[in-house]
Amino acid sequence: MAEQMDDWGQLLAAANAGDAQAYARFLQAVAPMLRGLVRARGGSLGEAGCEDVVQEVMLAIHLKRHTWDQAAPVRPWVYAIARYKVVDAFRSRGRRIDLPIEDFVDVLPAAPGRDPTEAADMAKMIGMLDSRSEMIVRKIGLEGASMAETGAALKMSEGAVRVALHRALKTLAILRERHIE
Amino acid sequence: MKTDDLIRALAADTLPEAGLSGRLWSVLVPALAVALTALWLMLGVRPDLAQAFGNPVSLMRWVLTGGLALVSVRAALVLARPEGSRVVRLWPLAAVAGAALAMLIWAFVTTPAEGRQMATVGKTIWTCLVAIPVLSVLPVGALFWALRRGATSVPALSGAVIGLAGSGAAAAVYATYCIEKSPLFYVTWYSLAIMIVTIASAAIGARILRW
Repeated sequence: MAEQMDDWGQLLAAANAGDAQAYARFLQAVAPMLRGLVRARGGSLGEAGCEDVVQEVMLAIHLKRHTWDQAAPVRPWVYAIARYKVVDAFRSRGRRIDLPIEDFVDVLPAAPGRDPTEAADMAKMIGMLDSRSEMIVRKIGLEGASMAETGAALKMSEGAVRVALHRALKTLAILRERHIE
Repeated sequence: MKTDDLIRALAADTLPEAGLSGRLWSVLVPALAVALTALWLMLGVRPDLAQAFGNPVSLMRWVLTGGLALVSVRAALVLARPEGSRVVRLWPLAAVAGAALAMLIWAFVTTPAEGRQMATVGKTIWTCLVAIPVLSVLPVGALFWALRRGATSVPALSGAVIGLAGSGAAAAVYATYCIEKSPLFYVTWYSLAIMIVTIASAAIGARILRW
């Protein structure tokens, strides 16, 4: 457990220094914990519904990653974001959930690795983006295209793709606020 | 959409966001400079400002208000972190409040009974109660702007602490005009003005610091 703890912190620290691969590994490590937590508490949402909540939390972790103080342990930071967003997600679906932070320690993470569940909300939100942002998120996320490939396909510079992706992800969080209330 | 696809999109976004602290000071300092300039243009400076800094009883108004602003900014930065409400230390705020109360009691004891009412009421209650909240608008607004990028799990408390920070700083600004001598005046009425701003900020925070 202690080893795992250092692991998350090291990955996120490397990510904040610009290492995209470390960042992907960090997010892949966090997802099963979230999935285990949400499924344990929100089974009645169904697997796809639970995965929607997991994805909302993942997006929040991404958009708030600058609020992690590298001198502080990373797990309490992750848990606090998860707690806030999971409670929020359940509330916006008309449910109340009580989620003491102590529960996070006992969560059995879901199986690591790829999860085949198709969630619906994020795809809906991506469909509401302007068409160029939508293309960028789809190409990079669903098709696994690189920045350079995406830029070439859309006749944009790589730098412009980067900025557009960054803005698109922020917009997704705003759209979610407006549409799942 | 599968979560792994989302992760791929998130991981590709490597543009860094500026840290909260740098962002906060970069707007708070200009906001206070504008507030100070506006005060001096509209109301002026107290003529004996230099002597006031040399007199310990008078100097305390800057120590207390400036101290309040500093400890509140620090607390607001911690509260802007998602786990901040579990690690924040609020005792420095209590210490400032305790010092202000001690100052008030000291002034009450050392002021002759017949002079207390006059010292407390002074001549500028309304100027003080209006000017401090007005001077707070820019610094409080700057703090909200900077900390909306944060991720507090306690929006109302964060808003209140932002209110204490902004109005504490505004009170320190106002003190460069205020000619009232007694702590009976400045502790009482500065505190009331700061309370008003703090309550309003808590209400604003509860609305706009959600994420």
